Order: sequence, then C-alpha cells, then structure tokens
Amino acid sequence: MKMVTIERERLRTALLLTTPNLLFITAFCVLPLAVLFSYSFFQVDFVSILREPTLDNYSRIAESATYRGLVAKALLYGLGIASLCALIAYPIAFYIAKRVKVYKAALLTLLLIPLYTGDLIRIFAWRVVLGAEGVLNSLLLWLGIISEPIWVLLFSPFATTVVLTYNYLPFMIFPLWAAIEAMDDSYIEAAMDLGCRHVAVFFKVVLPLSGAGLVAGFLMVFALVVGDYLTPQLMGGSSGVTVTSAIHDMFGAAFDWPTGSALAWILLASMILFVVCVLYAFYRSPWGRGVRRSK
Amino acid sequence: MTYLDQTLSASGSLLEARGIIKDYGSVRAVDGVDFEIPNNCFVTILGPSGCGKTTILRMIGGFESITEGSLRLDGEPLMHVMPYERPINTVFQNYALFPHLRVADNLAFGLKLQKLAQNEIERRVHRALETVQMTSLAERYPSQLSGGQQQRVALARAFINEPKLLLLDEPLGALDLKMRRHMQVELKDLQQRLAMSFLYVTHDQEEAFALSDIIIVMNGGRIEQIGSPEEIYHSPLNTYVADFIGGANLISGTITKMHGTHSTAMIHTGIGDVEAECSTSVTAHEPASLCIRSEDLQHLQVPLADGLTFNATVTHIIFQGSSKLVEVKVADEKVVAKLDHDVPALVGESIMLGVEHNRCRIVHGKPFASGNIQ
Repeated sequence: MKMVTIERERLRTALLLTTPNLLFITAFCVLPLAVLFSYSFFQVDFVSILREPTLDNYSRIAESATYRGLVAKALLYGLGIASLCALIAYPIAFYIAKRVKVYKAALLTLLLIPLYTGDLIRIFAWRVVLGAEGVLNSLLLWLGIISEPIWVLLFSPFATTVVLTYNYLPFMIFPLWAAIEAMDDSYIEAAMDLGCRHVAVFFKVVLPLSGAGLVAGFLMVFALVVGDYLTPQLMGGSSGVTVTSAIHDMFGAAFDWPTGSALAWILLASMILFVVCVLYAFYRSPWGRGVRRSK
Repeated sequence: MTYLDQTLSASGSLLEARGIIKDYGSVRAVDGVDFEIPNNCFVTILGPSGCGKTTILRMIGGFESITEGSLRLDGEPLMHVMPYERPINTVFQNYALFPHLRVADNLAFGLKLQKLAQNEIERRVHRALETVQMTSLAERYPSQLSGGQQQRVALARAFINEPKLLLLDEPLGALDLKMRRHMQVELKDLQQRLAMSFLYVTHDQEEAFALSDIIIVMNGGRIEQIGSPEEIYHSPLNTYVADFIGGANLISGTITKMHGTHSTAMIHTGIGDVEAECSTSVTAHEPASLCIRSEDLQHLQVPLADGLTFNATVTHIIFQGSSKLVEVKVADEKVVAKLDHDVPALVGESIMLGVEHNRCRIVHGKPFASGNIQ
C-alpha cells in the first residue's frame, strides 16, 4: 500500500470514530450553550424577550453584591469541599493502594455503593442523622454530653459541608487511588532508604508523585460542588441559597432567561478560569513533571 | 584457608547473617542462610530468578521482615532498625530516581534529610557528580537521561550518603550489553575508590565473575557455595554450582575408592574411571559426579598417559569463531568439548577426546537433566 493511501485510511478511521461523538456534543451541548450565550445579551420585558443585544445583564450582575457574593460563595465551597475531600481521601486511597492486598476490589466497590442510592435518599439519610431528634443529637443527649439538642447540626453551612464532603468523597478517592496504585513501591522504599520517616515520605515523594490524581480529583469535586444546588437547599436551611439555585429560579419562577443565562455564563467562565489556572500551575510545577514523565 | 577467610581476617567482618529464614505465607523464600561480608569487599549473590537473592537484599535494606535468624552490622543487631536508620543504601533495580527532582536534588535528597549545612551538601553533591562523571547533567530531570546516565545517578544517590554497605539489586539489568560491560568496569573501580562494601545481586555469572571478590551462589533459597570467582569456577562444591557456573560437563558416577585424606578419590563413570581431586562434601556412599570443563577437553591422536581418554561420536557442532563447541555421545553420556576451530570433526564421525586428571574434579550430587550445548 502506498504511504498516501495509508494516511488517508487512518484519517478515515479517525473521522469515523470521532464524528458521532462530535455531532452529539455539538448538538446537545455546544449549541444549547451557544443559544444560552446569545440569550445572555437579550432583555426581558414582562413576558416577552427583546432580542436587542446589550451588555446590561452582565453589568447588572457585576454591580450586584448579592450575585458577586453568590459566585464567590460557590467557588469557595468548591475549593473548601475539594480540599476537605483531599485531606480525608489521601489516607484511604493510600491504604487501599499500598496496604490492602486481598479485598482491594471489594473495598473500592464499597466506596461506590452510596453513589448508587441517589442524591435525595442520601440527603434525607443525613437529615435523620443530624436532625434535632436525630441519631447524633439523641446519642449525645443520652451520653449526657449535651443537655439540649444542637440545632446547628442541621440546616446550617456545617450540614451542607458534611453532606457535600460525604457525597463527593469517592470522586476524590478514586483518582488518588489510581495515582498511588500506579506509583512504583520502589519510590517509597528509596525515600525510606535515604532517610525519610513516614511523614516525610508522604510529603517528599507520595504527594508529588500522585499530583495528577490529586488535581483530577480536586477539579472533579470542585465542579460537582459548584453545580450542586440540591444539597445546600435541603441541608443548608437559610444558608442554602446558591448561585445555581438562583439560576434555576431565574429560568423557572422569575422567567428571566437573559439574566439567568448571563449568570450561568459568568459562573462557567469563572470555573473555567479556575480550572485553567490550576492545570497551568500544576504542569509548570515539578510535580507535574513527575507525573507526566514517570511510569 | 579459603579466600573468604583470608579477607575476613585481613579486613574484618562488616555484615553477619545467621540462619536467615523468610516465609511468605506457606512459601519459604529463604531457607536458613549464613554468610559474612568483609569490609571493603565486592560480594555478589548469584543465582537464578526466584532463588531468594533479592529477598536477602531487601531484608538487609530493611524492606522485608526476617522470619527467623539474625543480621548484624558491625556487631550491632539490625533486625529492629528501620530502613531510614540503617547505614545502608540501595541502588534499586529500576533506579527509582525521583522524577520530580533534578539530578542534583536527587543526590541531595539524603543529605538534606541528615540536616547537613547547605555548603557541605553542595560540596558533596559536586564531588559525587564528578565521581560518576555527570557534572554537566546536574540540572536535568531523570526523564531526560539515558539508561546508563540514570544508572550513574542512582549509584551516586546511594553512595553520597557514605553508607557502610551499598546494596545493588541487578542494577545493570536494563542496560544493553555494551553499556553493561562499561558499567561493570566503572562499578568495580568505584567500589575500590570508595573503599566501601558492595553487596550485588545478579543472575548473570559473567557479571559476577567480572565484579566480585566473593561470590555467594544461591539456589532455591539456600546457599550452594561461597568463594572467590576462582574457587567457584575451579572447585565447585556440587553439581549445581558446576552446572550453573560455566555449564560444565557433569557425568554421573560412583566413588570406588576414597583416599585417606579425602582430598582425592577414584570415580567410576560411563566414560571411564579416573582419579581426581574431590570437593569436601563428597563421601563414598553418596551420589557423586565427574565435572569436566568443556575447554579442558583435548582432541587426541594417542591416549593420554595421565588422564581420562575416550572415543566418542560427534552429534552436534556449533561454530564460535576461534573455537567450536562439539557435542559428542559416549556410552549414554553427552559431553561438550570446546575445541580449536581447525580440529577436524564431522557430525556422525568418531573422535578421541581426553582430559588430564588434574583437570577433573569430583563433586557432590547427581547431574541435572540438561547436558546439551549451551
């Protein structure tokens, strides 16, 4: 076969394989987003939409302390929950990857089981645990540690944080586990051989070499937390207003698609900016080098 | 007095292993191993894969627990000392260079943990880089280095900490033949310059011969023989060592006469009877074999006056340049002779071969089932 024919054949295969996906993504993701984007420049007049492009929506949102606060709150929650998840997930991931020999698959499946149950069920389960008459308060009362129920356990930022962390922990554990599992034991042994105690082994070798997993998990949890409006609404009480629930309201009850679109795009843009910054910083750092080039 | 005893009495003992046993569940990987490593000595553990040699190295490094037995370094027990507290460093098989650190930072890794002064660290890193001729590549990352360069960095990262004992786990395994030969010379040279004991693990007997002062031959979790390369090659204790080292001809026989001092005996074999020196482990009532190196066999016109002569039929010939390997059959025994390239020999013809009796050796045990041209 001639070189040109081979090249053409390869191109044909590549197109065959990618075209359906590209069409699907274009039709059901890119196009709606583009429509949304165009809506963000329109105005709403009572019940009709005025199709005259203007930047009013964006400037109104930018000037509103409430909206700015909501976007900042969403990003902060994303950052905070992702960090909390990383903190909890590292020991678990390390344990499963390097210490567990026999029941590895079983343990990993166990981690996934909560994800099978659905958001609402998990959230209501937590209400049972954290409520004024709930499991935790009853236990503390019975033990005599407290004399009246702690109200702040439920319908508070605390409750939101607990449930969000619980919900999205598997999304941090899995990439971390994969990264640590792929890390050769000899790196850890070499570190100990050269004089590292256990904590130093973690910070000098395990953490830098599992950076890819950490970044992957971090960005996943971040995106999921920013987009989750059900959990804050059902667990957060008066603190449960989020930017996503605001967008939801504007598209639904308020019938203000243009403002909703603008807000959605501002949120999306800030998230993309954040993700790009994280990835750039990561790949520029020696940690990124460690992950890119090692087997 | 063996070479090991001489070295031990001259330089003193560094590491002492007594009755080391390692079980993985029901599998016994190391089965009661005793050895000593002298100071300033290149010791190699030689054996096929799965013989327990890497396990021994890992136990000395502190990465595996010891099921039974004792390890002492300079007389101090090592068993409950954590790897990071042992004055021992390891060159790992895959080098295990930290990919996120530059060459210089890889070298400084251990020194920084010892909390040395910055200028002292720089001085030692510089000196180590010079020793392995890597000064110009100090700012590179490991992934930007070739296999041989990574090997040198791994070596430098280990010896820069000035350990009492350096462990090397088949460090040349990943290199091509030319590079491996080159690194063998460098390794031996380095060991002498550093005046440090190296414990080296390999399955390559040529490498073991090229590098070692002392070779420990292992098989199935046990030590078969400890000695200098010359002792191992010329005076194998048993058929395993004779076969593993250089693939000697092993011919099963029976001891017909044992001389008083037990240093020589008469053996009766399928290719004839001969009186020869025998290993210390040989006794009159246990199986014994006659061991003849293929290069010690000569092509003859007239029988030898003082040795073993036999007529044999040529079955295979392998050309090797200046010499050729000739496999012959005599009675039911297969024998391989390394003859000059110009010796006339044709497959199917009969030739007369012989060996001086002082080139024969009687070793303990029955021969293994191989015996073909290697």
